[in-house]
Amino acid sequence: MGRIKGISRLIYFSFLPLFCGLIYTQLFCYHRYQRLSNFNSIRIIDLGIPRGTIFGRNGRVLVKDKPCFNLCFVPFDLKNSEKVSNILAPTLNISQEKIKFILEKKYFNPFEQQFLKRDLNKKEVAFVEEKGEQLSGIFVQVGLKRDYKLGKKAGHLLGYLGEVSPGELQEKRLKEEVIKGGDLLGKEGIEKVFDALLKGKRGGIRVEVDAHGHKVKILGKKESAPGNSIILTIDSYIQESVAKNLGRYQGSVVVMDPRNGEILALVSKPSFDPDDIGPYLSRPGNPFLNRAIKGCYPPGSIYKIITELAALEKGIITPSDKLECRGVLEVKEGEMTRLFHCWVDKEIGEYKQHGWIDINTALPQSCNIFFGQVGLMVGAKDLLAYGKKFGLGSPMGIDLPGEKSGYIPRPRLSGGALNLSIGQGALLVTPIQLANLIATIANGGNIWQPEVVKEIVEPSGNEILSFSPHLRGSVFIPKENLFTLREGLYNVVERGTGRNSRVEGLAVCGKTGTAQIAKAELELPTHGAFVCYAPKENPTIALCVFLDRASSAEAATIAGRILKDIFFPPAEGDDENEKD
Amino acid sequence: MTKMKKIDWLLLLLTIFLVLIGTALIYSASCGIKTELSNLVTRQITWIIIGIFLLLLFINFSYRNLAKISYPLYFLSFLLLLLVLFIGKGRAGTSRWLTFAGFYLQPSEFSKLIFILVAAKYLADIGKKVKRFSFLIPYFLLTAIPFLLILKQPNLGTALVFLPISLGILWVAGIRKKHLTSLILLGLFSSPVLWFTVLKDYQRARLLVFINPNADPLGSGYNIIQSRIAIGSGGLIGKGFLHGTQSHLAFLPEYHTDFIFCVLAEEWGFIGGIVLLFLYFLFLRELIKIAVGASEPFARLTATGIAVMFAFHIFVNIGMALGMLPVAGLPLPFLSYGGSSLLTFLIAVGIALNIKKNEMMF
Repeated sequence: MGRIKGISRLIYFSFLPLFCGLIYTQLFCYHRYQRLSNFNSIRIIDLGIPRGTIFGRNGRVLVKDKPCFNLCFVPFDLKNSEKVSNILAPTLNISQEKIKFILEKKYFNPFEQQFLKRDLNKKEVAFVEEKGEQLSGIFVQVGLKRDYKLGKKAGHLLGYLGEVSPGELQEKRLKEEVIKGGDLLGKEGIEKVFDALLKGKRGGIRVEVDAHGHKVKILGKKESAPGNSIILTIDSYIQESVAKNLGRYQGSVVVMDPRNGEILALVSKPSFDPDDIGPYLSRPGNPFLNRAIKGCYPPGSIYKIITELAALEKGIITPSDKLECRGVLEVKEGEMTRLFHCWVDKEIGEYKQHGWIDINTALPQSCNIFFGQVGLMVGAKDLLAYGKKFGLGSPMGIDLPGEKSGYIPRPRLSGGALNLSIGQGALLVTPIQLANLIATIANGGNIWQPEVVKEIVEPSGNEILSFSPHLRGSVFIPKENLFTLREGLYNVVERGTGRNSRVEGLAVCGKTGTAQIAKAELELPTHGAFVCYAPKENPTIALCVFLDRASSAEAATIAGRILKDIFFPPAEGDDENEKD
Repeated sequence: MTKMKKIDWLLLLLTIFLVLIGTALIYSASCGIKTELSNLVTRQITWIIIGIFLLLLFINFSYRNLAKISYPLYFLSFLLLLLVLFIGKGRAGTSRWLTFAGFYLQPSEFSKLIFILVAAKYLADIGKKVKRFSFLIPYFLLTAIPFLLILKQPNLGTALVFLPISLGILWVAGIRKKHLTSLILLGLFSSPVLWFTVLKDYQRARLLVFINPNADPLGSGYNIIQSRIAIGSGGLIGKGFLHGTQSHLAFLPEYHTDFIFCVLAEEWGFIGGIVLLFLYFLFLRELIKIAVGASEPFARLTATGIAVMFAFHIFVNIGMALGMLPVAGLPLPFLSYGGSSLLTFLIAVGIALNIKKNEMMF
């Protein structure tokens, strides 16, 4: 019992400091705290969160922070939001209702600065400074913005920043990230995937203001700290060349190094301007879709590469065996007889008749009848299994958001061996998978993990993450089969369907693909694709051009131009970029 | 009728009174906000109703039965604490909550009470052997398991509650003074290890900012300064109910939970603060009386643990609001918003009332 007394004394005694604390805070310091509370005179000015710089492989800056002027306000200090919005609306080019809505929204902490408009131009800054007297509670504050050096040319790759949404706020907080409403966040591309690593530490000051909202004294300051820098595998020169050569086409291009899986360029069109995404939100053609990794298409004749490898390996056909193409093939499917056609020769307006040909002519001519017959012998199950072996139908694991896996159907639901042999049917692939497929042929069977990031470096210069080439898997391709296939691919470019990609003085191996778009699109019912690698011996470049609503010949033309830019760069002009 | 007399009406009334004060304060703190927080009062009232129901249930649930199931309960709470580490959700990078049918449950709150039961059970069972150090080792394990699991969440405040409870019960059970002294010394020497291994950056920041609030004007220091302004500007008589400017404008994100005392001190002033302290004083005195009057070791130790738990919460929470202690994130009993803590506190009162009812019933 005595011991409980001891505890009770301790408990009773603990009230004494609380009692004294109350006396001190509420009676002795009353006037001081009352003054602070009456004017509500403490404001927090957010100086922004610096982000790291993103570099290309050759050291060129692709994205970096730069100072900008933001129009800010402290909700508590606003006297007349009606009047303020009237004055500001014409100059800021925002409707008066919108301004009023932003100003009058309920904020969690009304003493904390909020943004009315980011990145003011000179005229707007001058206007606000001039009208300062009438705009109580509104002020211009220096902040940070992103400067995307490549603009639209690398929109999908690098991404853009946007204000954090309520859902993201919740999610980021769960991951221990320091974040608050109004903060900027990477919303696409590298900026999104590496957001947490790019972000530095927020800077801010805490100031005491007088009744008019003017700063009287700085109570505390927290210096901001820069974020980590990222060095990409992207070659800015190739990226720009690709964007230029893709021109106004809708589609995507992936360029990679077949020796290690490094992505040298990745472009999707239509694109958006990461500095100002507003106008693109309502544009047709889905400019925010990164077609290179999210576009799922039938591979078309490019899949004949798989059909050929499967047939050769299973011994169904030898390089010297010949099959006849009469432009049409009658196939019994149960009760029905189906007519399977070769492609339409536009010059004569009829189905192409290749006659008796071997595989070395069939591939360059992309003969459907030849490969259809071969495919029937291989069977749907193996055609699909071979595709899977090359990584089709599963995400390649690139460090960009939202990569799709494509689709490898079950044999029963695939649409049959005939369709599969020429890349039609229920099969779907992404352009990056096709780039990887041709890279695997180029390097003789290695499936590399596509990488966009080379290394991540701390502000102090220490490397924190380094991405070395990573082998996802490999496919065994017997030497002679590889030789046959590669010769065929070479002939595709030399004298076959991919002639448009020929580059003088460079041996290119490639394959065209034309895939039908599902129904409805009657005018231009095809996707045009072209995959290739170069040079033929010891290849260093593999690429895939995939165009929506265009022909494979157009895709081959673009590929040729890109290859020319890479292997025979023009002497002047863009060269300067590489040096800085 | 004799049974009715056995009810500690003062304790029950104090509890209900405090709960009502809490509801009023939460109403005041949340009425300025038009966000997801606006239905706080309705939710708190739901919890109060459930809590009072449980309280009444526990008055009539013999503590002897509680003693019997204390180990299984302890094991269950151990599982829940493990579970929360893996699938729990929480704010600001913590995992404290388990979602259960749309309600957030915080197992660490209940685990305090369950720990009290198991600690009392163990010490009551070993009786006089408490004087032998070797018999204390299982007891330390019983303390360390929930302590470390909760520290790992991380929830420094709640984890710390286990230490005074554990020591308090041990003291009343009759531990040797030299054992206790060496224990406390051991604790002091091992705390630097905890500082570097278990504590997270933000917890260290909180402790450091406590020394100089202006060092981090955007984060932890902000809470300390704002809560002092709120309390100080209340003055002698306060600004009046619903007339607080600081707490209303939601300076502090945790006004309705850990900083609820600021709302009271700002709106009801020094007088309000003193009255609250006095109510808590009476409340604790009743609990101590129950501990003194308890007829069996288990009952006495349980009541002691409950009293220490309440005292520590009150002391740390108000001390923190006044800026005298680091921001530890402990709720103020019956006043702070939060279902799990409220239920725990009300059940604790129920158990105490049951102990009182069974006094001298040999």
